[in-house]
Amino acid sequence: MILLYYTCNTCDNNDVFMNSTFDDHNIQEITAIEADHLTKVYRDNIRAVDEISFSVKQGEIFGLLGPNGAGKTTTIKMIITLTKANSGTLHVLGVDVFKSPETVREMLGYVPQSISVDTDLTAYENLLIFSKLSYVNKMERNERIRDALEYMDLSSRANDLVKRYSGGMMRRLEIAQALVNRPKILLLDEPSIGLDPSSKKQVWKNIKQLNQEFGVTILITTHDMSEADELCDRIAIMSEGKIAILGTPEELKRDVGGDIVTVNLASTPPIMTLPKEIGNVIHSDEKSIQILTTNGEEAIPLIADFFRGHEIKVESISINKANLDDVFMKYAKRRLGDEMYKATRRTRRDFVRRAR
Amino acid sequence: MNIGRFLASSITIAEMEARKIRHDSTELWTRIIQPALWLLVFGETLNTIRAMPSGNFSYIQFLTPGILAQSVLFISIFYGITVVWEKDVGILTKLLSTPSPRSSIVLGKSLAAGLRGIFQAIMIFALALIIGVKIRFDPLDIAGVFAVVILFAMCFSSFSMFLASYLKTRDRMMGIGQALTMPLFFASNAIYPIAIMPIWLQYISIANPLSYVVDAIRSMLLAGTYENLPVDILVLVIATVVFVTLASTTIKKLLE
Repeated sequence: MILLYYTCNTCDNNDVFMNSTFDDHNIQEITAIEADHLTKVYRDNIRAVDEISFSVKQGEIFGLLGPNGAGKTTTIKMIITLTKANSGTLHVLGVDVFKSPETVREMLGYVPQSISVDTDLTAYENLLIFSKLSYVNKMERNERIRDALEYMDLSSRANDLVKRYSGGMMRRLEIAQALVNRPKILLLDEPSIGLDPSSKKQVWKNIKQLNQEFGVTILITTHDMSEADELCDRIAIMSEGKIAILGTPEELKRDVGGDIVTVNLASTPPIMTLPKEIGNVIHSDEKSIQILTTNGEEAIPLIADFFRGHEIKVESISINKANLDDVFMKYAKRRLGDEMYKATRRTRRDFVRRAR
Repeated sequence: MNIGRFLASSITIAEMEARKIRHDSTELWTRIIQPALWLLVFGETLNTIRAMPSGNFSYIQFLTPGILAQSVLFISIFYGITVVWEKDVGILTKLLSTPSPRSSIVLGKSLAAGLRGIFQAIMIFALALIIGVKIRFDPLDIAGVFAVVILFAMCFSSFSMFLASYLKTRDRMMGIGQALTMPLFFASNAIYPIAIMPIWLQYISIANPLSYVVDAIRSMLLAGTYENLPVDILVLVIATVVFVTLASTTIKKLLE
């Protein structure tokens, strides 16, 4: 049954399916995206993606998380066949991405990081052109476009040039494109970047609907932890081209092992060690210390006593119950300062490349 | 590759361009200024002093096909800039991530350049009518000129896209475009006959596709004799196929 569904959607590429190696009984089990030791090295020997392996199940929302430059976008670009891996294998619904790029692109929808709709066309025209390029059946095309515009609340402005749209509306139009083309898998690269909070919520709602109502498998990249927590069934945290950890949001939160207590001090403390039973210091600077504990509420009195015992004046204590930010901090191993350093380095590299 | 789908995608890309022109055609209208100046100032002046040996025709008759070819050359040699711009705003990324074959995207873009070329041809015909240049307005010949203009625009726009794959920025494309157009123009039969060139330049002009284009247009618009036409068109078709194929394989580099 499922095989039939595949073949009719890739009409003239049946041979690819004939040649692929899955047999009937495990067809149900076929993964949406399967990456195995995937590696991408850029010209100047930067290992953007470094032997990563992961699999995305059909029907789930899978998140690739990580700081800027962790290799998320490069991974997505390899899947959508915009860039080629140096080594490793990559399969989309059992089809080898490197061998049959056009078949793979037919099953995928892609919303790049930067706005990619054509602002010199109307919303309707954008949907029309891209549905034609994605070979949406002629009979269904117009109905799907009308439905998608309706669904994304853009009907009233369908014939306006997109350059008169707001950022949120452009994003919704891009998701409408995915609705018209009905891909089996949708790749979203930083979908809510640059959106105001209410547009962001709207986009999240649309993404969830796509997943729940149309059964679209979604791979999303983000550096926004609340977005990942809100949307994703499973998350892989990437750092410097590698996957640092992979699991459900709950598993990952459990993994950070509890709450973070932040102590703000009136003055710089002398060097000292915190007793193990209170917790571990994960970060400290001149006037604040972050302590990871299994139970924040119980740790507070102990911490207060400890500092009082050392005659250090505490200004305030706050608890941060475990969330994905902490997981991110633990595995992405990078603080703001480093991030800024990386960013400047990257701009410089771009500059050099342009001058070449 | 499925031929039906390939052609459908190419036409869709051209349609995309046509729709954009429909929304804003300012650029097309401004493009008439330069050829108009060539014909009205340069052409009229040299026509009066009769300095050029233009055979059985007046100089301005001789010049009109040359200026038509030149203006189409300008449109197409800078076409890569449009593609670089589309890369910068993310449209190219989107186009290349659709299931459409990459060669159909390149072919479609070059067809779109052909569309602009047709518009240019129509305006130059109108201009020729207004200032009274005698050209043969035979429907079949006009159709032939349109076909040559489309092929020529496809040829050089795909060449431009091929260059853009390596040059990657708009500034560089401007530079290379400027550097190429003048030599191509002057080393051709667009504004003077090949016979009056120095020998070395004559050899260069034989290798210059623009010469074949001008020759083809001239034979259809002026002489009505077609003995060179097969060779002209053959050269043009071969060059177009080569450049479209080259650009199709390199266009992905633009994203890197």
